[in-house]
Amino acid sequence: MKLSITGIIIGVILTLTVLGLLRYRPWNSNGAINARDVIHEGSNKKAQRELTVGYLPVTCHLTCPVTDFASKTTETNTNFNSRVFSDFPTVVSALEAKQVQATFMIVPLAMKLREQGVPVKICYLGHRDGSEIVVGKNSRIRSLVDLKGKKVAIPSLYSNQHFVIHKLMEDHGMKPEDITFIVLPPPDMPTSLAAGAIDGYFVGEPFCAKAELDGIGRILYYARDVWPNFISCALVVHEDLIRDNPEIVQDLVRGIAESGKWAETHRAEAAKLAAPYYRQDQKVLNYVLTADPKRVSYLKLTPIDEDLQQIQDQGIKMGLLTKRIPMNELIDRDFVPKVITTAPIDAAKIPEPKEVKTH
Amino acid sequence: MIKPKTSESQLASVAMRKGSATLRFLLPVIVILCVLLLWFFISYINLFPAYALPSPVAVLKSFKEEMLAGRLVNDIIASLWRVAVGFVIAATFGIPVGLWLGQHLYAKQAFVPMLNFFRFLSPLAWIPFAILWFHIGDKPAIFLLFMATFFPLALATMSAVATIPSIYFRVAKDYNYKGIELLTKVTFPAVLPQVITALRVSYGIAWVVIVAAEMVGCQDGLGYGIWEARNGLRLDSAVCYMIVIGVLGMGIDRLLAQLTKLPNVRWGYER
Repeated sequence: MKLSITGIIIGVILTLTVLGLLRYRPWNSNGAINARDVIHEGSNKKAQRELTVGYLPVTCHLTCPVTDFASKTTETNTNFNSRVFSDFPTVVSALEAKQVQATFMIVPLAMKLREQGVPVKICYLGHRDGSEIVVGKNSRIRSLVDLKGKKVAIPSLYSNQHFVIHKLMEDHGMKPEDITFIVLPPPDMPTSLAAGAIDGYFVGEPFCAKAELDGIGRILYYARDVWPNFISCALVVHEDLIRDNPEIVQDLVRGIAESGKWAETHRAEAAKLAAPYYRQDQKVLNYVLTADPKRVSYLKLTPIDEDLQQIQDQGIKMGLLTKRIPMNELIDRDFVPKVITTAPIDAAKIPEPKEVKTH
Repeated sequence: MIKPKTSESQLASVAMRKGSATLRFLLPVIVILCVLLLWFFISYINLFPAYALPSPVAVLKSFKEEMLAGRLVNDIIASLWRVAVGFVIAATFGIPVGLWLGQHLYAKQAFVPMLNFFRFLSPLAWIPFAILWFHIGDKPAIFLLFMATFFPLALATMSAVATIPSIYFRVAKDYNYKGIELLTKVTFPAVLPQVITALRVSYGIAWVVIVAAEMVGCQDGLGYGIWEARNGLRLDSAVCYMIVIGVLGMGIDRLLAQLTKLPNVRWGYER
């Protein structure tokens, strides 16, 4: 084979051109269309505005894809595109860089951002409850006190799960150092528990249900038993968006609120709708949403000062939050509709899932 | 009497080479098949539960699923594009910088500690800044790849220049080679073999880094595919992505190895 320097340069340029063309597809009118972003093709002709909303594939953020779906199948003024993220640090960076101006995130993290001067506001909540403390199925742990000297995984230091478990430890007369906390990505928690690397974990759904369904773990506490009306995540909106496009935020909060109301009463359909967005097994989601209605709740999602104050106080006590931010600076309730109707989602339009296999 | 002997030995050596060529193809195939069989066997007897080790069948199924959904092809293109751009940028800057540093003693003394500092900084440490400066998408990944490959390339080229026998330069002086001419006719050809090795090594780094880099700050790509599979509690799909990453990495390395067949490079090897 004869190769020359010129040949190499031509080859490099050719490779780059071909890859670039394949990547950006200039012949496609939508430009760099991402096969991952399009879950349900939009046909909503009425919408004149668009907004991308970030979320993670957890049930706490379920209303995000529901709103995405609703904006594409019903007549709304704004078209919402849900954009999936896989971890909170990336969400934070995206928000700081204003690549997404509205996103779901864990509440204490939003407080921390506000503390650091990123102008964000909590406009609505994700869901209530929906988190559990899971321990090994055959372990002898019967209460929190049994976890003394053990390792418990949490999704983030700035997660409300972390805050609440400290509150629970106080209630049981335990010292903060009695339990070793490990920050783990939620998907790794069930497997770490099975492998014996951790003795328990406290995280949002569906990562608790997964351990139950796989026969790895059992629920030690439901969040609601520890901290009634437990809040994990909230809809966080950048102040610039609120200032520049209040009508989009209005549409967004209404959409999320109506989606929540719909999800509360159409749980099986919600699981079916979200599965392709989350790329998760519909069975797991369905289990979370329908097995026991007390697992998750999409009611009472207007942020209340006392609830968030309680979280902030706990964070300050633990030394993770340092500044007391007035609640009227943190929360913006102006966009919550007076009357929340059910999102007019036509269940028949939810596409049938493709073959979902179990392991 | 000598002639037939030579041809005989030539024949023998040709046959040996032929035999080794078949073996060269067969041996790795046998090893790969053995590993696959072992994997199949382990998952068949359920040595580990399915959530800890997906079975080959499940992985094959998820491969089909990802292919049909178009995600896999999209991710492959995304990753290849990022690696290609990042790597080409790093090479266009890194190799000239290395050549220049190699020829200028003071510049070398001045810059080497700094270059070394950045070389030992894991590119993954740049992730938060990559996202802050370049937002989300291709740019942060390309930036990370550049950070991962530029410094090793520049340093390897630089030290390659240092190994050129001084006689080359003395001869070059006799021919009155200076500046660009010296660079293209003596320095560059002399270091080319080492540069190509450095290219292969840093391409390896790039391919390893892309997967980690895509796990955050990206919305597609092979690394993101693994993250997403984890989030979706689908380890079978993660394994499918791992296999694609390994196979592609291997394939591209073979392509880069072809560079050693350049006539100019042969000169470097035979010197």
